Amino acid sequence: MNMLNVLLIENDLDNTLLENSLKDYGFKFLKSKYSPTFLALTKEITPDIIIFNLDTPSKKLLTDLQTLNQQSPIPVIMFAGDSNIDTINQAIKAEVSAFIVDSVEHNRINSIINVAIARFKHQQSLNNALEEARAKLEDRKQIDRAKAILIKTQNFTEDDAYHTLRKLAMDRNITLGEMAKNVIAMSELFK
Amino acid sequence: MPQLSLKAMKTFIKVTEIWVPDKERTQLEFGSGLYGGLIDFKAASEQQLFAYNEGLPGKAWAAGHPIVLTKFEHSYFKRTAAAKKAGLTCGIAIPVFSGDFLMAVVVFLCGDDEDHAGAIEVWRNNPLSENSLNVMDGYYGTLQHFEAISRQISMPKGQGLAGLAWETGLPVLVNDISKADTFIRASDAQQAGISMGIGIPVSDNPGHSYIMTFLSAKATPLAKRIQIWIPDQHGKQLICQQGYSKNSNDLAEIFETITVNKGVGALGRVWLTGMPVITGNHEPDYNPELDNLSSMLAIPVIKNGRLKAIVSFLF
Repeated sequence: MNMLNVLLIENDLDNTLLENSLKDYGFKFLKSKYSPTFLALTKEITPDIIIFNLDTPSKKLLTDLQTLNQQSPIPVIMFAGDSNIDTINQAIKAEVSAFIVDSVEHNRINSIINVAIARFKHQQSLNNALEEARAKLEDRKQIDRAKAILIKTQNFTEDDAYHTLRKLAMDRNITLGEMAKNVIAMSELFK
Repeated sequence: MPQLSLKAMKTFIKVTEIWVPDKERTQLEFGSGLYGGLIDFKAASEQQLFAYNEGLPGKAWAAGHPIVLTKFEHSYFKRTAAAKKAGLTCGIAIPVFSGDFLMAVVVFLCGDDEDHAGAIEVWRNNPLSENSLNVMDGYYGTLQHFEAISRQISMPKGQGLAGLAWETGLPVLVNDISKADTFIRASDAQQAGISMGIGIPVSDNPGHSYIMTFLSAKATPLAKRIQIWIPDQHGKQLICQQGYSKNSNDLAEIFETITVNKGVGALGRVWLTGMPVITGNHEPDYNPELDNLSSMLAIPVIKNGRLKAIVSFLF
């Protein structure tokens, strides 16, 4: 028995093949039609993966997927009849893990799901690394600004400013970036 | 929720406002304010105007000295319904004058809950005895016994917080009142849980001197830090004479080593204009539990049209 919970969102297409394939591979799934309550439903049942089987994704659906990706990202597979490049681009932009056009084949379902999950995890690790790099860069900027404040107000050398900042951070058991923000906030009061 | 965040802050003062004369200088309009999470009360205040002798700021303007309003209901206070909703029950208005002319009115609003201990008093010189002060008005919250004692005392010039502030014409900050020889009510203060106090000379009308005293307990400080800035002996720069907070704050101490030139920065502007200022974070999502200082009220102490000192309350 596969332990993954699947949320299957379908429209009026014939879904028998997809549903049978999920059953055969042992996936537990809940069927639903796409509606304005999609995000609330996802939040409530917390699926491990969402599979769409529809003709073409609406703008509202793609917007919902972007929101979902920002709030609590999960792997999304989309089987669609629409092969328009704009639709594909928008789906990719909404961080859909796999977009399959005109093809629901029984023997490929399991591998499509596995590849989508692997791709999703890889994408998540890239996103996390990017976020970490952004945060480090932001910290770097704040630290430089805080050092400049200390240099200007205390006539410190750059080295003195850095060591003072580090000591203040260590005494408070907070990061250098957080301490830099405190120094900047304090200097703002006297501006 | 706003009320919860204020409860967590546990500072004695819950709202701080500055009211300034409008263009015609005939009524007071909103200058700036610190409201914590009291968004509705802030909204009710920002559009408010006070004529001379109207509402709490207008009354302080007309009286020419600080006034304390211990109950809003059935009083001249104009924002009673909004204040009640925000849990505010008492207000203190301090007019800042340069000679006969009003620069601004600073208003502090407090809540009457059981969680805080502290007092705000207005002392005035006794017309019958030239060299002593009496409590003219005061807000004591739950400290009824301390209030009774305080209202009976005559404070000689040069003694106690109020007497010292009167004699020197400068703010006086005592950080352990129970051990201070100069504080006449030391044992009563200790019993009431009061640990620190600051006395600030305010309006000095001919024949009348007024001193404000702010007394607070350790658990509910007036502000996260209080500083006294004074002009140096050449009157060229401001220097920090004293800084106090419940817990030591080495970041604040670093900034207390700076000197301030007239017109430069927030304190320099207070010196240049004689106007109180509020700076920093006014956002409702500000977390009062963090140890960083993110807002400041700076009040000038003016005598004979000259700046004697600036008292800054950091939150």
